[in-house]
Amino acid sequence: MISLSASKSLSSTHAAHALAVSVQNVGLTYTTSIDNRPTLKARLKSLGHGKKHTRVVNALNQVNLDVHYGTVLGVIGSNGAGKSSLMRVISGIVPPSQGRVEVHGSVSTLLALGVGFNPSMTGRANVYLGGLAAGMSRAEIDQQFDAIADFSELGDAIDAPMRTYSSGMYARLAFSVAATVQPDILIVDEALSTGDAHFKEKSLNRIKELRTADRALILVSHAMATIEDVCNEVAWLHKGKLMARGNPAEVIKQYREFTNTGKSSAANEDV
Amino acid sequence: MSTPVAVYEPFRAGLPPLGAYLRSLWARRSFIAEFSRSELREQNYGSVFGQLWLVLNPLLLSGVYFLLIYIIGGQSDSTRYGNLTASLFLFYLVSNSLTGGVKSITAGQRLILNTAFPRIMLPISAMVIALFKFVPTLAVFFVMRTVLGLNYSWQMFWAIPVVLIALLMGLGMAILISCINVYFRDIASFLPYMTRSLLYLSPILYQASDLSDRLRSFEIANPIFYLLDAWSQVMVYAQAPDLFSLLHSLVWALAIFIIGTYFFLSRERDFAVRL
Repeated sequence: MISLSASKSLSSTHAAHALAVSVQNVGLTYTTSIDNRPTLKARLKSLGHGKKHTRVVNALNQVNLDVHYGTVLGVIGSNGAGKSSLMRVISGIVPPSQGRVEVHGSVSTLLALGVGFNPSMTGRANVYLGGLAAGMSRAEIDQQFDAIADFSELGDAIDAPMRTYSSGMYARLAFSVAATVQPDILIVDEALSTGDAHFKEKSLNRIKELRTADRALILVSHAMATIEDVCNEVAWLHKGKLMARGNPAEVIKQYREFTNTGKSSAANEDV
Repeated sequence: MSTPVAVYEPFRAGLPPLGAYLRSLWARRSFIAEFSRSELREQNYGSVFGQLWLVLNPLLLSGVYFLLIYIIGGQSDSTRYGNLTASLFLFYLVSNSLTGGVKSITAGQRLILNTAFPRIMLPISAMVIALFKFVPTLAVFFVMRTVLGLNYSWQMFWAIPVVLIALLMGLGMAILISCINVYFRDIASFLPYMTRSLLYLSPILYQASDLSDRLRSFEIANPIFYLLDAWSQVMVYAQAPDLFSLLHSLVWALAIFIIGTYFFLSRERDFAVRL
């Protein structure tokens, strides 16, 4: 029996292998302005000629991707491959230009750390702000607050304004808040490389804990070792196209051969 | 095959399913409250007086404008001063919604690009902040009108519908202008001149009855002229407002709110790629 309530309750269950996300022939095109000198004069000139100083960027092109419950999908690709664009389309932030995306469950996104945070407020107030922004209720945050504070390892600094935090402290608190949300489908974009080595490992373990049969995880990362360690499927995007999808080791191998970074150890340093 | 919870398809200008939209907005009510509170605190962050500025601002404002009408008009009876402060405070409820609302979408870029939520939440917060700023001014006004020796009466409860209309007006304006600003950023630079003109076109530094009939008939085009007139009748003269003033402001408020909301809701899925 598949329950498809949109609620974020922990009790919502999905049969393993039921469809979580279905991306069907999705294309995404942006129009960007390429005015070299965005002056009024140039604008007025182009008005008369009906010529638009714009360039169309194909961020995604005919992407087909099904993600099932129980899957941990890693998404890899070089910069500008369309990974973040795809995540934004799946989470409903940006509408696709072509195609269709179906989502069967509640989605939580961890696309950037500290979304909704206000640096003037204390860490404590920001736990509430960030949690509410991520779609948690006040009662849920009350309940989870101690766990969040513990996980962030901030100690007394939790009651100091966040503008006094170091970037590592900021990232730690942001990750702690985000990792508490328990959605059906969790999308994480480059958020694992936060803090020092100790915290990186801790956050990686947290992600591993979130791998359950009734949840789908999508991780975007450049850290191949992490992807290979955590994911049971990998999708490789290149210039908006889905190049390969399947067994992590195989797809990563193909990707490395394609980009010729196989031998370089520097490419794998970021965990 | 089960039915999907959410389907995302190419953007077309048109309203989203309103029921689902309102439900997800309602689910985020505590975020709106918390977000507004933190924005408000940030505005006075680091100042010596802190949140006391919420009371100091209206006091100083009314003092400065009192100087102006005293020097220009050469007279200052208590009703005139009462009218000035009462109207100025309600005017700032509307104008703070506008100035807070104009950049609410463009400044919320990080939030918009990284989280899916009903975007209308941002201009709503701008109105909530304006309301937070308005409440202390009401207290200041009541102290003032007691000192000035103005009468009290039960008719003053008419203030409630007048404030509700003003809130609807402020909300509609915030929603409309935040959306316009996504497509036409210059509006933010025009805004100070627009609100300043609105201030002088409205019965704040003068009373509605001071205007000639000919000028008053032009004021039908001013959305807040009769709103402020009704407010002054209630708060300064402790009378029931005349029906025309109430209706005029209600019709304007509804029109701005409906047009603004339609424009906003039918465009909001396009915002993320325009920021």
